[in-house]
Amino acid sequence: MNRFEQAAAAAVGLMVLAAGAIFFYAPTDALQGQVQRIFYLHVSSAIAAYGCFAVVLVGGAIYLRSGSLVADRFARAGALVGLVFTTVTLVMGMLWAKPIWGTFWAWDARLTSTLVLWIIYAGYLLVRRLAEPGRQAARFAAVVGIFGFIDVPVVHFSVTWWRTQHPGPIIVNDALPPEMLATFLFTMACTLVLAAVMVMIRYRIETLADGPGVETAQVVSAVKSREAEPVQ
Amino acid sequence: MNNTIAIALAVARKDLTSEWRTRELVPALAQFVVLALVIANFGFQIDAHNAPSIAPGVLWLALVFAGLVAFGRAFAAEREQSSLEAMLMTPASPVAIFAGKAMAATLLLVMCEAVLLPALTLFFGTPLTAQLVLAVLLATIGMAAVGCLFAAMVARVRARELLLPLLTLPLFIPFIVAGGQAVQVAMGNGGNSDQAVGLLVDFDILFVVLTSLTARFVLDE
Repeated sequence: MNRFEQAAAAAVGLMVLAAGAIFFYAPTDALQGQVQRIFYLHVSSAIAAYGCFAVVLVGGAIYLRSGSLVADRFARAGALVGLVFTTVTLVMGMLWAKPIWGTFWAWDARLTSTLVLWIIYAGYLLVRRLAEPGRQAARFAAVVGIFGFIDVPVVHFSVTWWRTQHPGPIIVNDALPPEMLATFLFTMACTLVLAAVMVMIRYRIETLADGPGVETAQVVSAVKSREAEPVQ
Repeated sequence: MNNTIAIALAVARKDLTSEWRTRELVPALAQFVVLALVIANFGFQIDAHNAPSIAPGVLWLALVFAGLVAFGRAFAAEREQSSLEAMLMTPASPVAIFAGKAMAATLLLVMCEAVLLPALTLFFGTPLTAQLVLAVLLATIGMAAVGCLFAAMVARVRARELLLPLLTLPLFIPFIVAGGQAVQVAMGNGGNSDQAVGLLVDFDILFVVLTSLTARFVLDE
């Protein structure tokens, strides 16, 4: 096994442990019953997705400042992995909402802004596909990533002014019994590890997809610009 | 700074002059928004009772799609003639050129709104108040900033007609949420619009600043 396979195996193992904690350690919710167990992965993957999109934002900003290919590859990896975790969040949330709210969807601040988040980063990946590969795709995508990251809190707060029914933040409010809190924190840690491993693997794929030519081309152009300088 | 403003105004004047000479975009957009109202009429079974609750939605749908066409055209015309490259080769700053084009596109969209809002009043019987006009104009500013930025971007990308709405519409949502609320109030659906108008101003500032910071990277290829 190479180190990527080892990391992937470790992340999967951790997720299996988290599943064990969710189903066997955490107590059943008195009001919501078994459905409440969705909460652990739902919230964890939402946090993982935000983390991934923060990588996209920071990677894009660094790319625009310095043209660093490493930053751009991290941005690409973060967008894809973040989109996966957003999908998980949305689907698990809808599965929870059906028995609890009686409907899969409500136009609430969280739901709306998460859906917008999904659409924006799906657009981000489309820009990467449609723009001319290389500098143009990286620059355009970086701009989309920056606007996308700003837009989501804006959508969230603008919708909050008028309509919301999503449960509030219960973790910071100290509303969870200790077993549930421990399960949640463990699941969140495992999910974050999984997200980090996925970003690393995707980063490696992006590096291989760029091919050795990209760095070489950069070095060649750097050498040429040096050669053009007057000899002292 | 003065120079930047002068260049922006010159670019805006160039775009408006070319629109005045051809008279293509504004009549087409005007016809487009009227058609949107006709389609809404058949889609919704509108009568005097439900018109105030449907009209705001129709207004924003028509406006958003007319905006996409207007912003897309602003840069498509430059691409067809490769004149954007020529402008960027001059010493003028890309941000000034972008600001000029965005101003012209905003004005053209405002002209289209000058058709849309009275037509809405005429066909739906909803009031045309200063409050309504203010909300629409405030939303137009921010939407034009973002819309033109992404129009400039997709002008150089394959499948640009496909990508522009996909990238721009999610970013329009804050304006539609706040503007939608203000228009609801203006059309007599209850509530208070002060907060919504305040939010619109905040969003305008945020998006115009963000656009001016990133425009350089989109144009300066």
